[in-house]
Amino acid sequence: MARPGVEDGPEDRSLWHMIFAPTVWAVHFAVCYAVQAIWCAKIGGDIATLRVVLVAITIVALAIISFFGFRAWQRWDYFHDRDYIHGGETDEDRREFLGHTGFMLACLSFVAVLYVAMPFLIIGSCI
Amino acid sequence: MWPGGPVLICAILVLAGCDGPQSVLAPGGEDAFVLANLFWFLLAGAVVLWCAMNGLMFYVTRINPRELSERGAQALILWGGIAFPTVVLAGLLFYALSIMPEQRAEGDGGLRVEVTGEQWWWRVAYWPEGADEPIISANEVRLPAGSRSEITLEADKVIHSFWVPSLGGKSDMIPGRTNRMSLAPTVPGLYRGQCAEYCGESHAKMAFTAEVLTPEDFAAWLDAEAGPAVPPDTALAREGRAAFFAEGCGACHAIRGTPAHGRVGPDLTHLASRATLAAGTLPMTGEALARWITAPESVKPGALMPGYDHLPPERIAAMAAYLEGLE
Ligand code: HEC
Ligand SMILES: [Cu+2]
Repeated sequence: MARPGVEDGPEDRSLWHMIFAPTVWAVHFAVCYAVQAIWCAKIGGDIATLRVVLVAITIVALAIISFFGFRAWQRWDYFHDRDYIHGGETDEDRREFLGHTGFMLACLSFVAVLYVAMPFLIIGSCI
Repeated sequence: MWPGGPVLICAILVLAGCDGPQSVLAPGGEDAFVLANLFWFLLAGAVVLWCAMNGLMFYVTRINPRELSERGAQALILWGGIAFPTVVLAGLLFYALSIMPEQRAEGDGGLRVEVTGEQWWWRVAYWPEGADEPIISANEVRLPAGSRSEITLEADKVIHSFWVPSLGGKSDMIPGRTNRMSLAPTVPGLYRGQCAEYCGESHAKMAFTAEVLTPEDFAAWLDAEAGPAVPPDTALAREGRAAFFAEGCGACHAIRGTPAHGRVGPDLTHLASRATLAAGTLPMTGEALARWITAPESVKPGALMPGYDHLPPERIAAMAAYLEGLE
């Protein structure tokens, strides 16, 4: 077994844990747009403060994604056996498959959140 | 025929289409230059990538076909398939985004042009610096070269989009909202703008001329544009003027200096000084005017002006003569 002495916990079987990072990406996307729309409609043109708020939201999102990416990386357990094949029927195969997929989704989500945030940093006005 | 022939002919035809008064690739203003550069930059990048990818393909299948170790293949996917595109796309996104604020930079020439999208024509109002009343025109936008002018965009009933490809990017016109953009033309000349958001039957025939003038010419033109219409100077034109009012055209059209104050259709005060008729659809000639008045729908499907084909052609010709004199 990959991690001697460690039993598979619920999150090693959970699909939800696999898609946690893309969920954060989706929430970050929606929250950023909502904050920007409300800010521009109700508060007005103070773009500098708005930018700080959006950067803060983005840093939080990146931190959460990194955390779940790291957990997925541990579950994949790549350096133990450098194993890319997860098609089997064992608990280890299931855990490594979910970990591998979750890790790659976390990488994708990390980059996507950065891309989503980039316009906020550059665009200088509400219109 | 040499097999490359048709390709070459196509390429020449396509490139020929890149010139002209309505081309992103023939820029006449600062904003359009930036956009054209973006296009050429991306095109060059795409060509390099295409050659590199196909070169690599050729290399590994024809020149040096050998098996790659599994680790080698994984490294290739990781670096070439994931890391490289991520970094390149981030760079391109940053570059494209970084030019956007400039496209909406504040005007520095003191002029604001307010354009309202109507079905299917353009209401245009010039607000020179300090003016408390606009100078009204239609279906034509004139701008001074060498300074940045504010453009504010509105719409009457449906969404339109304001676009002069040779001068800058496009912006939507949305009912109930005022959008703003700015244009900084540099090269005097005659350009063509086009509605770029489907707005009904005659959307494709909702165009306009955009004329860039030197600052002196522009000031002189704006002075003239602000004045009232010239009175008719021939018997035919006087007859046409009488017919214009008798037929009730003034209920929809304004001609400054006359009792015509309608606001439903385009302002006709200086109609004949425009390069085109009916929002870029017909040439500005007496014949085209007569054709338009007789049956607008035959020119622009769904046109919101009634036809006058029940009138004798002489009466319509007289009105055309009057309108043709409205320099
Ligand atoms: C019910 C309102 C209405 C009446 C009445 C009307 N028009 Fe129009 N007219 C319009 C509208 C709307 C347009 C714009 C149509 C378009 O371009 O799609 C227009 C466009 C025009 C144009 C082209 C303007 C330009 O900027 O190129 C001319 C010229 C014109 N009308 C002349 C006349 C004459 C002459 C009469 C009377 C015989 C007349 N109109 C009566 C509504 C009206
Ligand atoms: Cu349109």
